[in-house]
Amino acid sequence: MSAIELREASYRYPGAARDALGGVTLAIESGSLVSIVGPNGSGKSTLLKLLGRVLEPTGGEMVYRGRAAGAWPRREYARRVGYLPQEWEPVFPIRALDVVLSGRAPHLKRFEWESAEDVESARRALEECDVLGFESRFMDEMSGGERKRVEIARVLAGEPELVLLDEPFAALDLAHVQRLARLLEAIAGTAGRTVVFVSHDLNWSAAVADRMIVLRQGRVAADGSPAEVLTEPTLERCFELRARVIEDGGSRWIVPKR
Amino acid sequence: MSARRDLAAGVVLLAILLALSIVAALGIGAVPLSWIGALREDGAARTILFEIRLPRVLLAAAVGAVLAASGITFQTLLRNPLADPFILGVSGGAACGAALATALGAARMPGVVPVAAFAGALMATVAVVAIAARHGSIDPTRLILGGLVLNAFFSALILLSLSVIRGSDLTAALHWMMGSLANASWTDVALVGGALAIALAVLGWIAGDVRMLAFGEDDARSRGVDTGRIRLIAFVTASLATGAAVAASGIIGFVGLIVPHAIRLIWKRDFRLLLPLSALGGAVLVVLADAVARGAAAPAELPLAALTAMLGVPFFLVLLRRVA
Repeated sequence: MSAIELREASYRYPGAARDALGGVTLAIESGSLVSIVGPNGSGKSTLLKLLGRVLEPTGGEMVYRGRAAGAWPRREYARRVGYLPQEWEPVFPIRALDVVLSGRAPHLKRFEWESAEDVESARRALEECDVLGFESRFMDEMSGGERKRVEIARVLAGEPELVLLDEPFAALDLAHVQRLARLLEAIAGTAGRTVVFVSHDLNWSAAVADRMIVLRQGRVAADGSPAEVLTEPTLERCFELRARVIEDGGSRWIVPKR
Repeated sequence: MSARRDLAAGVVLLAILLALSIVAALGIGAVPLSWIGALREDGAARTILFEIRLPRVLLAAAVGAVLAASGITFQTLLRNPLADPFILGVSGGAACGAALATALGAARMPGVVPVAAFAGALMATVAVVAIAARHGSIDPTRLILGGLVLNAFFSALILLSLSVIRGSDLTAALHWMMGSLANASWTDVALVGGALAIALAVLGWIAGDVRMLAFGEDDARSRGVDTGRIRLIAFVTASLATGAAVAASGIIGFVGLIVPHAIRLIWKRDFRLLLPLSALGGAVLVVLADAVARGAAAPAELPLAALTAMLGVPFFLVLLRRVA
C-alpha cells in the first residue's frame, strides 16, 4: 500500500510567475526509503513541504493512506508525519531537551504537559542521534552539526510513520552521516514506517535510499533504484553534470570529469 | 527540573513578591497613613486607603500584567525579542483612538473610550505587521521601523486632537499621552482586570500552539498548528488587552519589553510558562514603579511612563546589540 501519493500535484508560491512544482504524480510505498535529489531550485524542498502539509498544493491532489491529505485533521496528520525543515533558527534561548520535547507537541492534549513517556521518547531520540548528554545545552551553544542532530531527534521524538527530512546530512561529519544512514534504514525497516529525504549528496543518497527521485524544473525527471538513476546519461540530462559513475562492491560513486 | 515544576515555583515566588509589593505600595503616598486607623474606623484614612490607594495599586498590577502578557505574546508571535506594545506602536494606536474619540466629543459616553482604544490598538497591530511582512515572513528591522513611524503618526494625530479638545477632556487626553495611574478608579480596575482575565484565559487556551509558533510559521504548521487562526486570535487578544490598559492608564512603555526578558533570564522556557510568569512579573514591576513615582518626591508625583522609559531604554539597547 502506498503511504502517500501525489496526483498531478503542483505548487506555485504567491506572486511567482511559474509553478515551483508542476504536475507531479508519484506514489511512495510504505516501508520505503526514498531520496529526492535534483539541481538547485528544482522543487525538492517544495515537494517535501507539500508532503509535510507545510504548504497545500495549489493544483492536483495529495492522498495520505487512502484519504485526501487535506481531510486529515492537522494534529492527527502531524502525529503521523514528521518534517525536518532545511533551515531552522530558534530566536530565543532554548535547551536541546526542550527542542526535542517540542517534537511531542502534536501528541499533547490542550493544557497537557509532557509526561514521563514523552521525556522517554525524547531521550530515546536523542540517543539515536548521538546527542544524549546534550539535553541541557542551549541550541546557540552548539556546532552546526550538533544542532542538526538535535533537530533530527526532534522529528524522531514524535515517532511519525512518515519521516520527511530536508538535507539531514548537511553539516554532519562523515561518521554521523553513516550513523544517520543506518538509523534511517532501521526506521524504514520498521513495519508501517517510511522515510523520504532531500539531499544534495548523490553518493550518500544512492548508498542509503532504495529509490531515488530526480526533480528538474519542478517535474520528475527520473525515478527508480539508485542503480537505474545514477547513470552517466541521467546525470548529464538532469544535472548537466559530466561525471563518471564508478561501481564498487554494489555501491556507485560519482566522480566529476575534469 | 521539568517545565511544570519551574512554572509552579515561579508562580509561587512571583505571587509572594506581588503581595509584598502591593502591601508596600499601599503604605506610600502623599499623606502618611496609619494602617490600624484605616482598617478600624471610618474617616479620611479609610477613604484614602480604599478609594484612592487600593484602586490605584490594583490598577497598576492589572496594567503591568496586561502589558507584560501582551509583550511576551508579540515577541513570541513575531519571533522578535524587541517587540513590545509600546515599541510596535500598539499602545500609541490605542491612545490615538481614545484621543480621537474625545476630540469628536464622544468621551463622556460610557464605553466609548475603551472601544476606541481597542480599535486603535488593533489597527496599529494590523498596520505594523503589514509594514514588516515581506515575502510571507516578518522582517525584524522593518518591524521596529514600522513601530517607530506609526508612533510618530499617532503622536501627530493625538496632538491634532488635543488642539480641538477643551476643558476637563483636555486633562484626560493629556493623561493618555503621559501615561499615569493618577485618578485610578474602581471602574478602571474592573475594565483592565476584566481585559486581563479574558486575555489570560484566551492566551492560556492557545498557549500550546503559540509556543510552537516561536519555532516559525512553517515549523508550527508541520506540527499541526493552524497558524493563521492562532495568530489572529493571539494578535486580537493582545491588542484588546493593550487597548484596555491604555484607555485606563495611557501609554506606559517598555513594560512588555523589560519583564519578559527578565523572566527569560531566570526561566529559559517556552510560552506556556513565560505567559503567566510575565503577567505576574509585569504586575510587580508597575506596582513598584508607581510606588516610586508617588513616593520619591512626595507630595509631588513623578511621571510613571518616564520611570519605565528610564528603565526600558538601556534594556532595549542591550537587546538591540544582541539581536544585531
